[in-house]
Amino acid sequence: MSGTPGASAAGLPVASAREVRRHARRLALRERRSVAAAVGLHALAAASGLAGPWLLGRLVEDVTAGVDDVTRITLLISLFVVAQAVLSALAMFVSARLGEKVLAQLREEFVHGVLALPLGAVEEAGAGDLITRTTRDVDLLARAVRYAIPETLISVVTIVLTLGGLVLLGPLLALPALVGVPILWAVTRWYLRRARAAYLRENASYSQLAEGLAETVDGARTVEAFRLGSRRSARMDRDIVTSYAAERATLRLRTVYLPTIDVAFVLPVVATLVVGGLLHLDGVVSLAAVTAATLYTQQLLAPVDTLLFWLNELQIGGAAMARLRGVRRDPAYPEGEWAAPATDTVNEEMIEVRGVSHAYRPGHDVLHDVSLTIAPGERLAVVGPSGAGKSTLGKLLAGVHTPRAGTITVGGVPVSSLPLDRLRTEVALVTQEHHVFRGTLRDNVVLARPSASDASVEAALRAVDAWDWASTLGLSAAVGSGGAELSPAQAQQLALARLVLADPHTLVLDEATSLLDPRAARHLERSLAAVLAGRTVIAIAHRLHTAHDADRIAVMEDGRIVELGTHDELVAAGGSYAALWRSWHGGG
Amino acid sequence: MATRVSNLVRRFPEPDPGVPSRLTPGRYLLWLARVQFGVVLLGAFYGCLWPTAQALIPYAVGRAIDDGLTGRDRGDLLLWGGVVLALGVAQAAAGILQDRCALTNALGARYRTLQLVTRQAARLGATLPRKTSAGEVLSVGVADVTAIGRALDLSSRTIGAVASIVVVAAIMLATSWRLGLVVLAGVPLIVWATALLLRPLHDRQTRLRVQQAELTAQAVDIVGGLRVLRGIGGESLFGRRYDDESQRVRHAGVHVARAEAALEVARMLLPGLLVAAIVFLGARQVLSGELTGGQLVAFYGFAVFLATPVRRIVVGAGAIMKALVAARRVVTLLALSPSIGPGGGSAALAGGVLVDPVSGLLVEEGRFTAVVCAAPGDAAALADRLGRYVESSVTYGGLPLASVDVDEVRRRILVSGNDARLFAGLLRTELCVDREADDAELLAAVDVASAADVLEALPDGLDTVVASGGKEFSGGQLQRLRLARAVLTSPDVLVLVEPTSAVDAHTEARIAARLAAARAGRTTVVFATSPILLDHADSVVLVDAGAVVATGTHASLLADPRYRALVAREEGPA
Repeated sequence: MSGTPGASAAGLPVASAREVRRHARRLALRERRSVAAAVGLHALAAASGLAGPWLLGRLVEDVTAGVDDVTRITLLISLFVVAQAVLSALAMFVSARLGEKVLAQLREEFVHGVLALPLGAVEEAGAGDLITRTTRDVDLLARAVRYAIPETLISVVTIVLTLGGLVLLGPLLALPALVGVPILWAVTRWYLRRARAAYLRENASYSQLAEGLAETVDGARTVEAFRLGSRRSARMDRDIVTSYAAERATLRLRTVYLPTIDVAFVLPVVATLVVGGLLHLDGVVSLAAVTAATLYTQQLLAPVDTLLFWLNELQIGGAAMARLRGVRRDPAYPEGEWAAPATDTVNEEMIEVRGVSHAYRPGHDVLHDVSLTIAPGERLAVVGPSGAGKSTLGKLLAGVHTPRAGTITVGGVPVSSLPLDRLRTEVALVTQEHHVFRGTLRDNVVLARPSASDASVEAALRAVDAWDWASTLGLSAAVGSGGAELSPAQAQQLALARLVLADPHTLVLDEATSLLDPRAARHLERSLAAVLAGRTVIAIAHRLHTAHDADRIAVMEDGRIVELGTHDELVAAGGSYAALWRSWHGGG
Repeated sequence: MATRVSNLVRRFPEPDPGVPSRLTPGRYLLWLARVQFGVVLLGAFYGCLWPTAQALIPYAVGRAIDDGLTGRDRGDLLLWGGVVLALGVAQAAAGILQDRCALTNALGARYRTLQLVTRQAARLGATLPRKTSAGEVLSVGVADVTAIGRALDLSSRTIGAVASIVVVAAIMLATSWRLGLVVLAGVPLIVWATALLLRPLHDRQTRLRVQQAELTAQAVDIVGGLRVLRGIGGESLFGRRYDDESQRVRHAGVHVARAEAALEVARMLLPGLLVAAIVFLGARQVLSGELTGGQLVAFYGFAVFLATPVRRIVVGAGAIMKALVAARRVVTLLALSPSIGPGGGSAALAGGVLVDPVSGLLVEEGRFTAVVCAAPGDAAALADRLGRYVESSVTYGGLPLASVDVDEVRRRILVSGNDARLFAGLLRTELCVDREADDAELLAAVDVASAADVLEALPDGLDTVVASGGKEFSGGQLQRLRLARAVLTSPDVLVLVEPTSAVDAHTEARIAARLAAARAGRTTVVFATSPILLDHADSVVLVDAGAVVATGTHASLLADPRYRALVAREEGPA
């Protein structure tokens, strides 16, 4: 049993905005040649796009005046169309290639960061947060790197060049194009401040809808058994109320935002047309210049619209990157350079637990002043009711947590201060929680020793009674999600086989055979015992036969060891173990 | 305008989602549109107004150039400038009003379908996993409702797109029928050609998505097994493997980008060349006096504009095709019916002996009966028969269960196994599901299940909000909460399947004693093989190969070698 329900979702760190910016800058500098190529190509493409309206303006003026240069100008227009198409395609490709490269690098860094998380952090973080970062945040970042950044870049380049084109047509014609800017700036600022939270709420409300339905569907039989049909419908209706409120909230934002920017888009066109027209009538600018300026202003709308659209995505991508960068290797402990052990080698494997108390929440001790000495090679069983602190003791023995008070030492060295590489050779913990990795059966066993021979893999599988089914399946059979499905019992055997191959001095088995049927469990434990002869084994047990087979038994209640001794001693003592044993025997 | 719309924007959810008339995909979509016909119609109206206003902008710009600039008339310039502004404001207003109606349509369809699917899942109950898979229903609830909602969302936009094409076509043909025809033929041709070019790209993108999903699955796998990896080792193996896959995805992404770039050339080139052709033809007509300069600018604007409504129609048609596929899955689900009949009339179950003629099992009223099955599958099958989750000849107080309303059977007989699900919500209401129990009653049931320690560890005790499926609890904790819920429901007959398989011996002993006491005088059937539990039963029944082979008490049956082998098998040669 895992001890603390609903416990600390302490959460993993999130990188600061400054750190994200610094990292983005570092990446851009490292790839400066590709970045420069992408920007240059986008600029050339945008410049070619400006030729069309300008030439059309010239043409309108000429043909209105009766000058026939139609063929020449249309050919030029076609030429620029081709140039723009080719250049923007090239620019797109260069950006995408760069994006893919950076993205791969970022997600690999993240996964390596995950793989280097300290044991305690893994325990406390809660799988939810890490899974969200692994799936959602990686996807969001991908969207930002692949689309948001290039699209923003293209928009900015296009806007700058178009404005430049307007200035070239006549500085006076560029001014009316800017009338929309203050409105756009103000309303976009207003919108973005509110949009993020509102859309997150909307998404969350959809997750809630899906989750409610998933519960009803997965628990359909329970719904029928307890006659919960109307309750489930009511839950769906309640979730719809929430979802609808969230939808209306974002709709309200759009109702202000979208018409305002639409009007802000048309204003510059009208202003350019009217102001330019009046200037033309006063003889200040040519008809061609007014026509081209009006078309340029219209052309500005698309990139501005794109820019506004992706601004939000950029923000979201930045937040995702902050969460991904939050999980990265602690620079103090680079891979393979774990701090050297403070003391010399441990040759005496005596485990000493002295005055240990521990709490997950301050003031709520789940272990009280526990002391225990375990001799090398001893097999100790720990029994007791749920919530007695057995699993906590197991985790402390395996160095996952540091006890709040007291010490746990292996051969005189505190376990929790052992560097990870060393700790693994000293103590390993197997719980009833099991995981079959995607990969071959062999991969699943050799974790600790990737170079292990097939013969030693076979030996490990035999030691856990798994060779029968494992040999039928084959060592290179694909297992895990997407591969052959293993039963929970088989998964548990795999977990033990890993441990056999890892071969630590001390094994802590927390309900490690609970998923096997009792007869198989007992057989497995016996064959395991043969392989592990000489190793120290601490077995937290829920079946009494495990206790019966051990050298000594510790009975825990309410965070304390209340009975300690051999099976025969405890039965003779007539305490709670004896009572249980009699009940187990069915009074026989 | 806005107030009228918000009156038309409905309140969701509807108290009653209604009943779709005929269960075919097309009919279902039409039914969804019909039940909110007013909003659909209004949406179509704004949907027409919006692009029409947009389409008229190039026309007004052209008139401003012709009448104002070429015609050198200040008044006309200001007039047409004002018209452009008015059109801009009109399209902004129509746009958002159209959006509001479209959202209401989409949400109406989506919510209504979700309500129907939820009610159907509840109606199917235990039949659901037999007739369909949970994944199938969920994909209806997530992907299909989105596809259906999208079709209704786009309906007004698609209608509007058609309308705007008609308006633009009319103006162009009236101005210059030759140039108009070129535009009207050219634009659909380009959209069609682009769609054709898109198809191979879609295939590549699909393959990339599969690879990305594989990469994500690999990362999720690493996170899922992180405790193992950090505890035992293997980080470098898995890290390297992830890097390899990540690089493969990277190269696949670049491969897709190459195809996208090629498409980009076509996407820019085709409309660009059409515009060049119009400029060429139009300019010649200006020279020959058939067309004015402003009209040429307008045609340029029309050609650029038309691509949007044409694309919108293509998208709308695609959305309807997808919605039809989605609707097919919805109606298929809605057409399923529970595999056991609704049962007979209004007869009420009055208690008595529960008898399963097939196995010969006889459960006496008011007693704690334990059933030991040699084959684990027998327990589940027998429990299903006793609770009438399958058609059976079981009688209760002499009345065949098949002749009684199913709801009445559920009310009297509760079967709770380890697959029973704990729902998300306030623990208090999730434990006592059929009424409001006071704290004393709740705590008493929690105590029967020996789950007081589970409660104590929760931040707010009974008022803690628990996650879906009780994710935060261990197997043993969940099992005890499930038991507490079953005890609180307090049925006439409580059937429990392996209720203590995941708890330790100490706790099991407590539960066995307390459960027997709590259910004293009421009928309780427990399927189990643990001697601690069996020791507390009034009578123990041994079932082998689907039939009762022995009956007695735990102590008396221990003499039976078959029973001993099953129950006391832990006892090896000590």
